[in-house]
Amino acid sequence: MCDFLIFLVMLKDYLPRDIYNLIVKTFSFNEITEIRMRVNERLIICVKNKKYYLKNDDGEFIIVNKNMLNNFITRASENSIYAYNDNIINGFITLPKGIRVGLTGTVVQEQGNIVTIKDFQSANIRIPHIVRNCSLKAYDYIVGEQVKNTLIISPPGAGKTTFLRDLVFQMSEHNNTKNVLIADERNEIANSINGEPSVILGGFCDIYTNCSKSFAFKNGIRSMCPDVIVTDEIDLDKDLNDLIEAVNCGVSIIATIHARDFKELKRKKGFDKVLDEKIFSRFILLSNEFGPGTLVGVYDENFNCLMLGE
Amino acid sequence: MKWILITLLIGVIMIIAYSLSEQYKEKFDFYSNLKNFLNQFKINLSFKREKISEFLKQVNSKKQFKIFTDEYMNYLSKGELNLSKIKALDSEDIPILEDIVKNIGKHDSKNEISQIDSFLVTVSDRLTKAEADKNKLCPMIIKLSLLFAIGVAILLI
Repeated sequence: MCDFLIFLVMLKDYLPRDIYNLIVKTFSFNEITEIRMRVNERLIICVKNKKYYLKNDDGEFIIVNKNMLNNFITRASENSIYAYNDNIINGFITLPKGIRVGLTGTVVQEQGNIVTIKDFQSANIRIPHIVRNCSLKAYDYIVGEQVKNTLIISPPGAGKTTFLRDLVFQMSEHNNTKNVLIADERNEIANSINGEPSVILGGFCDIYTNCSKSFAFKNGIRSMCPDVIVTDEIDLDKDLNDLIEAVNCGVSIIATIHARDFKELKRKKGFDKVLDEKIFSRFILLSNEFGPGTLVGVYDENFNCLMLGE
Repeated sequence: MKWILITLLIGVIMIIAYSLSEQYKEKFDFYSNLKNFLNQFKINLSFKREKISEFLKQVNSKKQFKIFTDEYMNYLSKGELNLSKIKALDSEDIPILEDIVKNIGKHDSKNEISQIDSFLVTVSDRLTKAEADKNKLCPMIIKLSLLFAIGVAILLI
């Protein structure tokens, strides 16, 4: 159904060899979305929407111990935790080829600022997917002469970043020559490593990696003259003024937000202002119903359904 | 013929003496390089924060220290560490180096700097000892060997 580009093979260098071999033997590369390691708990493999415990050849569950988790994180950081600390304080590490590892543990603070995370308790290895053409059904409702201000709504893990990536790629594929500025605050969209995106996003993208949305919006508009700004996981409470500012500068916005449905969305702090200002003229609703990336529908600024998905 | 043999004997004894004393010089050089490496790494932690593998590639290492950096790279890629290859070191030195290799890169930069400072204290102690050994033992080995060679030569004459 989908053309997956999977990076799981990269994990060979980071996971303990026996565990990697078990994963490879038991599961299909194409279907794994997450690997969850929690100290003193069973190792969990997420395949699409389902979760499985990993078992060894004797049928025993694989239990993650502290040493295993620490070794994984040390290897993931290439024995250089200090080099990744700017990411670690935001709760993640990005491995080469864009494999994102979410981390939890004891948060160390100094004078109110988070300085690092130590004594790691869990790691969530999220395997990025590129699902080509997953945004095509909604494409014409978003991109025309002008790119419509669009908010992509989905619960966590339902494919909004995958959808966003494909949408950006499709703009380039459809010879849309609009300059796209990607404000990639958590390096989730482009998965850049040393300035090079791991994901093909097309030839009209400029990318700010690991910077705040506020910085990307303000400086990006001044210096890169974008036609469209693309960003992930907006916080209406925090980012709203920057969004309004950008829209008032004639720049289109495509953003994502966590919510299960419009009810949840409307309950979010700051959303009433979004409605008042009519910032977004398209809402794309995704769900997990038939696996990540299920398109529920495309809606206009008054939440009238323009197209129903799967 | 006799004189040729005596000259050869003195030469062989002196070569052995020189190679014995060279071990102390190499140890001193090794610890000097290691101290320099740790200081440079500390600067890296404060500014560039390059990954340890990238930093190691830039280290201009020679002789025994080159074996150390090669082994370090091997440890980073394969997880195997064999520091006994470094001839200049004895059994007391190897655990110190293993401790350094296995613990660098496990903290944020601030704690990493504190850790490097503690490594530097140990390394400086070893360097001072290596320097004292070099200054004391190298001339002594040469002198004793020379005396021994002359003694053997006198006996042969």
